Amino acid sequence: MGIFTPNKVISPTTFRLILLGEAALFLILWLASPFKVLPRPGEVFSALGELWRGGIGQELIVSLGLFLQALALSTVISMGLAYLTVIPVFRPLALVVSRGRFLSLVGFSVVFTLMLGGDRPVKLAMLTLGMSVFLLTSLLSIIAEIPRSQYDYARTLRLSEWRVVWEVVIRGTIDKVFDAVRQNAAIAWTLLPMVEALYRSEGGLGVALDIQRKYFHMDKVFAIQILVLCVGLFQDYAIGLIRQIFCPWADLNKERSDA
Amino acid sequence: MSTAYEIRETLLKIESISHSYNGRPILKDVNAEIKNVHVPGREQGQIVGLLGPSGVGKTTLFRILAGLMEPTSGKVSLGAEGLPVKRGTVGVVAQDYPLFAHRTVLSNLLVATDNDAAKAMNLLERFGMGEHAKKYPIQLSGGQRQRVAIAQQLLCSEFLVLMDEPFSGLDPVAVHNVIKLLGEAAAVDEHKTFVLVTHDIEAAVETCDTLWLLGRDRDEKGQPIPGARVQKVFDLMERGLAWREGITGDPEYLRVLAELQDLFPKL
Repeated sequence: MGIFTPNKVISPTTFRLILLGEAALFLILWLASPFKVLPRPGEVFSALGELWRGGIGQELIVSLGLFLQALALSTVISMGLAYLTVIPVFRPLALVVSRGRFLSLVGFSVVFTLMLGGDRPVKLAMLTLGMSVFLLTSLLSIIAEIPRSQYDYARTLRLSEWRVVWEVVIRGTIDKVFDAVRQNAAIAWTLLPMVEALYRSEGGLGVALDIQRKYFHMDKVFAIQILVLCVGLFQDYAIGLIRQIFCPWADLNKERSDA
Repeated sequence: MSTAYEIRETLLKIESISHSYNGRPILKDVNAEIKNVHVPGREQGQIVGLLGPSGVGKTTLFRILAGLMEPTSGKVSLGAEGLPVKRGTVGVVAQDYPLFAHRTVLSNLLVATDNDAAKAMNLLERFGMGEHAKKYPIQLSGGQRQRVAIAQQLLCSEFLVLMDEPFSGLDPVAVHNVIKLLGEAAAVDEHKTFVLVTHDIEAAVETCDTLWLLGRDRDEKGQPIPGARVQKVFDLMERGLAWREGITGDPEYLRVLAELQDLFPKL
């Protein structure tokens, strides 16, 4: 029973079999659940079909557009700020921005509305801010964890300090940055419905979810969640694939590749 | 049987190096010198061992010699011209044999050669690593990684390469391989000079032609006085132990070992 042994390395086929088994178990538990409030799988999938015919695809495109824009902006802003910390004068700024993760996004809604006007720019600003503070925190931690020996090593190769930044801080950590972006992209899908529910004129999955929730259409709520989950899984896979292309060294000696 | 040799110009001079950390002396008046040893008929570099117990200040002296740290006082100069040591002029091979993980073996060497691929490939071939040129460091064994790290530092340093604990954590076969590799690397050029920081007495005697013993003085109660200096220099060329293979059965080797083992606890 190797699958219950700690640190046991299993083959991809075994992993898939376990995954299938656990999915089947989950389905059985779901079907047998005593909670009547939970919609059954059949109801959820039929709700998904109904939503699709009703135009949920359009809402998905709206949300996806907003998400991609915010992801691009927050990645550029966070990477820029994090890498700027190699210059001491920028360190306090980056630290202050990263502490923004303790602030509620809702608190910025009025300020952003007055400053930017229009639902789209406000949604984009809120989502970008929400994502940036978390991504920046992760990136600062990645940079802080680079050991002194790595800097020393680069310096002994007669590299200029800017070249040390390029080789050690930027290229040397790029695989970890991809991981952080991947996690941050997942966080974005938890923020997005909230932001869209606040500014509804453009629609989006957040608005659809809010409407179904208000009318207690749990089958449709679950259907939208499953749709988001599918998008999330694809996005995870895509970022992982890009990471593999740009960082082929990163996973060469990993014992496990199922994360 | 000792090899004929002659002592020539100064390659490295350590003059009155003292260093304190938070007011606590780590090094106190360290003086030492490495001279070019010429062996007629062959290229023969120098291998100097810096021996001392853990925590005595070897790493501090290592960083000062590498130009990575300024001493509180004193200076380190290179060559007959006495040029001050600066980072980048001295090759440094750290204990974990660092390489850029995101670069292939060849690409790692290119960083050290201003993209001179022919020079880099030539050295890789000499070190038996030509077929691994396209691999990433993570795909190499420990021994292969050592070879690449040393090759890289040979390419970018003027002539001096410092190695931090090259025998640490290695099994006897691996230690033997490192000793052999260092011998090969030192034979690349007459001026190539390796300074090995280690506490492995046996491996140091087998590898080096000179040993510096770093240690602290003792007060009248036998307690160590803070601040280490070079307490003793062992000239293994003079004792006929340098540049020879299979010296471990030599009575002189055993005598040197016994002397060192006697001195070591007092450092």
